[in-house]
Amino acid sequence: MQSYEFYTAESVEDCLGYLFEKKEVCQVIAGGTDLIPGLRNESIRPTFVLNILEIESMRGVIENDDEIRIGPTTTFTEMIESEILNRTLPLLVEAAKYVGGPQIRNRGTIGGNIATASPAADVLPAVLALDGVLEIQSKQAGSRFLTLAKAIEAPYKIRLQPDEIITGILINKLPPGTRCGYEKLGRRNAMARARMNMSMVIHLDEKGTISDLRIVPGAVLPVAQRFQEAEKILLGKKPDPQLLETAAEALAEKILKITGIRWSTEYKLPVIKSIFKWVFNRLVFKN
Amino acid sequence: MKKRGIGVGSMFYGIGYGFSRQDISSATIEICEDGSVIVRSGEVDYGQGSDTIFCQIVAEELGVRYDSIQMITADTFTTPNAGPTSASRVTYVTGKAMMKAAQAVKKTLQSVAEETLGESDLVFKDEKVYSMANPDKNITFEKLAKQCHLRGLKIVETAWHDITTKDVDPETGQGKAYSTYAWASQIAEVEVDTETGKVEILRIIAAHDVGKAINPSNVEGQIEGGAIMGMGYALEEEIKQERGYIKNTSLGEYMIPTSLDVPSIESHIIEVPVSDGPYGAKGVGEPALIPTAPAILNAICNALDIRITELPANLENLHRLIREKEKGNQ
Repeated sequence: MQSYEFYTAESVEDCLGYLFEKKEVCQVIAGGTDLIPGLRNESIRPTFVLNILEIESMRGVIENDDEIRIGPTTTFTEMIESEILNRTLPLLVEAAKYVGGPQIRNRGTIGGNIATASPAADVLPAVLALDGVLEIQSKQAGSRFLTLAKAIEAPYKIRLQPDEIITGILINKLPPGTRCGYEKLGRRNAMARARMNMSMVIHLDEKGTISDLRIVPGAVLPVAQRFQEAEKILLGKKPDPQLLETAAEALAEKILKITGIRWSTEYKLPVIKSIFKWVFNRLVFKN
Repeated sequence: MKKRGIGVGSMFYGIGYGFSRQDISSATIEICEDGSVIVRSGEVDYGQGSDTIFCQIVAEELGVRYDSIQMITADTFTTPNAGPTSASRVTYVTGKAMMKAAQAVKKTLQSVAEETLGESDLVFKDEKVYSMANPDKNITFEKLAKQCHLRGLKIVETAWHDITTKDVDPETGQGKAYSTYAWASQIAEVEVDTETGKVEILRIIAAHDVGKAINPSNVEGQIEGGAIMGMGYALEEEIKQERGYIKNTSLGEYMIPTSLDVPSIESHIIEVPVSDGPYGAKGVGEPALIPTAPAILNAICNALDIRITELPANLENLHRLIREKEKGNQ
């Protein structure tokens, strides 16, 4: 049994005030699907737990002119049901559908998924593929903006000061005609940690040339990231099986370079290449 | 590439303990003054539905309403020993003890009814006891029970049922090891993704000889539940150990199928009665799980021409076998 101070913030100001006052790391509960099991098995032993779920302004999806703003405590279910996201960023909807099961999706939030920064996260890689930006606030410094790509420091660690908190996830709308794809391979069809996943954004211009491409495989690296080496091979070219194979090779090479050979390498390398090619072919040829 | 295959698994399984191991059960049945019935037995219903089946058996024997029976089970303070819930024995052994106890207590009821009605061709049905030839001669079960109590008759009976078998010949291993056997065949259809090693089970057809299905939907539930366990056994379940310690100690790490992994399961109940089970019934609990993994592995073999000899056939293991076969073919 653990004991800790549990504080429910009523507003963003209240929340920032609390973080400033404590000046040490507070465990933030933004859904609790990772935190609660961690508290139960005592792998997490906090002094302060800050509940941000009651802050109305931190929740929900807002559409601005060319940008979508998602509150960090927006649940996966709310994302799946969001008319705005279904219309503008269906990649996030697809990714959210693969999270756990209905109960987890009702509790778990996009901000929690990002802040937990698990290498096997379902939604975080999709936000990376969409070049998502975090709005971070603190009492002293006010607001700052940091791309998600730069925010992830290490597995389970993002670059936040103890007095800072994510207050929004900002994603630019995609140009018309942009296609998005998501795939997850798990050990079973629900309640499964991703063995691997793949988020992809692609745009073909009127000549059929690849004018935008973002590839983010998940659960293959300690820190998820875009695979620009593979993207470059295909950018500015027309889709071609040989090029696709070369890009798949580049993808595997990068993973090998970063992780070295591990027990899972023998499985993961060929399979992530297959998943990459499926998603690519599905987006290019079956839309 | 996705490849499909179909496989069959068949089994027979000894019901009860067999091999001269003690296999006894018991039940106590008491008729109350208001015609309600109290049943006591040490048998545990841990979800498989045995209390339901016992209730049905007693209701059938005494001709009373199912909801007039109060079941008191698995309370060591008040219930007689019925042996464990294991070996797929509960319906077969304790079910029979229920039947015997009900028949024993019925004898007292029968003698009072014969005397009251002046008839001996009596039927216990619909909360009444009546003459088969002359149904107008009848008495309600409640009145009959009251009569027994007014006369101070013994209206509680305990039945003991023992199916302990002789042992087999120690030299030849021959003999009747179990008092009865269950038989089953299951067919699985699978689709294997040769690139990821992921197996999707498309459907399972399961035919089980249960002797007699006392509660058919309960039997179907057992068959479906068993087949799902068999799926997990075939494809995912694995105890990972490190220096004697189990590493995967939660259901987040020890993977069993979820509802989204379960295909259509078509149950076929085969009823070939056995002489010493209640109404010919025998067990179905464990038999439901036994043929599933073999059927799935045979289906995978049918799809890939790869014989799997180690479980689980999970993503990595199957992927490795597929690659090895590809290399061998080159």
